[in-house]
Amino acid sequence: MSASFDQSYVAPRRPRRIFTAFASRPGVVLSSLFLLFVATATFWPQLVTTDNPLLADPIKSQLPPSPDHWFGTDHLGRDVFSRVVYGARYSVLIGVSAIAIAALVGSFLGLVAGLARGIIDEFISRFLDVVSSFPDLLLALVLISFTGPGTVNLILALGVASVPRFARVVRAQTFVIAKSGYVEQAKTFGLARHTLIIRHILPHAIAQVPILATIGLGSTIIQAAGLSFLGMGPQPPIPEWGAMLAEARNYLRVAWWIGVWPGVAITLTVIAISILGKRWQLAFEGRRQA
Amino acid sequence: MFDRRHFFLVGTTVLALSLLPAVSFAEDAKPVGGGSLSWGVETDPATLNPHLNGQDKTKLLLRNAYESLLARTADGGYVPWLATGYEISQDGKTYTFKLRNDVAFTDGQKFDAKAVVANFQQLKDPAYSTSVSAGPVSRIEELKAVDEHTISFTLKAVYAPFLDYVAGLEILSPAAFASSQIKSGGPEIAGTGPFILKRYVKGQEIQFEKNPAYAWAPSTAAHQGPAYLDQVTYRFLPESSVRTGALTSGQLDVIEGISGNDAALFKDNPDFSYQTALNTGTPYSLFLNVTWGPTQDVTVRKALIASLDIDKVLQAVYRGERTRAWGITSPIDPQFYDKSIEKSYGADAEIANGLLDEAGWKDKDAEGFRVKDGKRLTIEVVQAQATVRDQRDVLLQALQAQARQVAGIDLAINYVDAGTYTERRKTGQFGSIANSNTPTDAIDIEYHYLPIDKGGTINYSRAFAPELEQWLNEAASTLEPKKRFDIYAKLQRFAILDEAYAIPLYEPEDQVAAASHVKGISFRPFKQLPESAYDIWKSE
Repeated sequence: MSASFDQSYVAPRRPRRIFTAFASRPGVVLSSLFLLFVATATFWPQLVTTDNPLLADPIKSQLPPSPDHWFGTDHLGRDVFSRVVYGARYSVLIGVSAIAIAALVGSFLGLVAGLARGIIDEFISRFLDVVSSFPDLLLALVLISFTGPGTVNLILALGVASVPRFARVVRAQTFVIAKSGYVEQAKTFGLARHTLIIRHILPHAIAQVPILATIGLGSTIIQAAGLSFLGMGPQPPIPEWGAMLAEARNYLRVAWWIGVWPGVAITLTVIAISILGKRWQLAFEGRRQA
Repeated sequence: MFDRRHFFLVGTTVLALSLLPAVSFAEDAKPVGGGSLSWGVETDPATLNPHLNGQDKTKLLLRNAYESLLARTADGGYVPWLATGYEISQDGKTYTFKLRNDVAFTDGQKFDAKAVVANFQQLKDPAYSTSVSAGPVSRIEELKAVDEHTISFTLKAVYAPFLDYVAGLEILSPAAFASSQIKSGGPEIAGTGPFILKRYVKGQEIQFEKNPAYAWAPSTAAHQGPAYLDQVTYRFLPESSVRTGALTSGQLDVIEGISGNDAALFKDNPDFSYQTALNTGTPYSLFLNVTWGPTQDVTVRKALIASLDIDKVLQAVYRGERTRAWGITSPIDPQFYDKSIEKSYGADAEIANGLLDEAGWKDKDAEGFRVKDGKRLTIEVVQAQATVRDQRDVLLQALQAQARQVAGIDLAINYVDAGTYTERRKTGQFGSIANSNTPTDAIDIEYHYLPIDKGGTINYSRAFAPELEQWLNEAASTLEPKKRFDIYAKLQRFAILDEAYAIPLYEPEDQVAAASHVKGISFRPFKQLPESAYDIWKSE
């Protein structure tokens, strides 16, 4: 049994072949380009737009899209395009930070549980069972009702809610790897326990974490936007996409552009991330498209 | 302004009574009884006890079940309701009311002088409500049931707004005061109204059923006897777009609170009726706290007023569907509104920035806000989430943007829960609170400008200048309208122009849209809030 697992760990494709596989698929290329754009908007929004996302001009409220305002203006006369661009910073970073927290905490808990076994494993596993018995969004909502709304609280709440996903996978992998032939062999060489863990177990146990994180990022961004829509995240006038949707909901009938663009931004970003995540997963598993 | 709005004014004379329904609803011959009505409303009541509820939006619901001694006519006069008449003594200090002898509360209790006395005794009790007991009832020196159907109030001193207050107060069944529901209100709190409160589900709906024994409508109503409808259900729908959608799709018969954007859907549309009426009382205003934070400095307060171009903001937020306010009371107040204050302040960036430079807020931080001694010029607007209505959140955001762009003032809007709001209000730790209220006969002015411990229950600017108390007492102790007008006009200039206690924004109004089969919707004469469902009927 252990022999067959060893096989799978030497199997991953080399980077060059992964790249050619990516390039042959337009969906992947388009997604990558779009995410590159989102990344630019996230870190250097001023390269994408010169308008100030907070500058309100009541006279120019609810103007439809035009060459001056590509996405139109909102109910307070702010430029919707610049708000969508600056909104990437909040929406994407909230998602990325929450996932990063979940991945770090989850991997650590999983590794500890997988290595320690016994009572510690029991304790951590039951704790994870409890956490994951609540739907992610509900758990995050409950946490925020204690901490109060705000960007940091939103990140923490979403992060905590996603911890079990990572912890479970890492724990299972750790179990398998710790029993595998090469680890057994390394033990016979008399390697110190911490060297064994850091050099031989950890890299393989967390190998799937980046993929999990990429796949989870899409849903976390949606959840973040959902919670912001409910007023749990960044507060006005911050241009977060979910909060923008919430502000726009009373204007859909008279000024569709206020709500449609942030909605499009969320949708495209999540689709693009999902496509890349899926492809990465397939490549990692060494399979061609099903 | 009046002619643009469709008031259903009910006159006081028999002539007016016979003419008006015919004019207003000429297309339908005769009201038919029966049926149930569903009405979408914006605001969930904080309490269903009409004595303790300060939400104007809730009056529409509670008016179905609870009634008062006198009703108002369009010109501000008083006509009998639960009382058949009243008398004021020569010295202006004693008010005597004769009560009807054929009225019963819906829980079977008798309506008599004892019941009315029980109500006022309760109101004077600080344990019932600290703020209510400090209000106009605190002026009552003696309160007694002269006989079974006569009650008299003797005041400590002449208090001009007393009749307005006492005539409008809702009378509850004396049995209610022993109920565990007395603070929250509910089906156990009986009134005398044409409908009986049957069911309330927080956040969802409130249901009223017809009171078949009802036979004491005031002459201002369009008919006598029991109500036409068997049942009225008000559903709480906080989103204006949801209310609009529910009416246009036929899920509701009537909605109130129509956003400026949606008004065009119902105006001049034969499938719907659309009516609006400006509120009475204090306009929706930002009250600036004179005892806490940067607004302690009158220069900062004046600078904030100067920095805002409120006309522009209202146009953007409400698409021209709301009326700008300038003073301390409603522009439709026929008695005490001095319109000479209009267009005399605001929208001047130069003045705003000059004042702030002068007050020492000279430097600006990285985000463009003014700073002094390392501290940002932040005015914290504390707003209870539950009382946000009529897109006021959007209005505040627009003002926030303007104050920042024009003058570098940080209007930080902080939405808090009801408990925090009450706490901050009590301790005075806030920069500004925005509010409006609808009492008439200058009681609104007293509530906002008397010292907090002397009847200024919603004195959000916490103004304590001795002139205010002196003027208000002077005005209230005379029954001469001209003299009172002059004093309130003087106070208005002082409060807005000299001291900048408040920034009047717009005069709240009620909008009601209904499917065309719903007839008889009207606004209360004089008070102008939406009238109860008593006269409403369905033609299909």
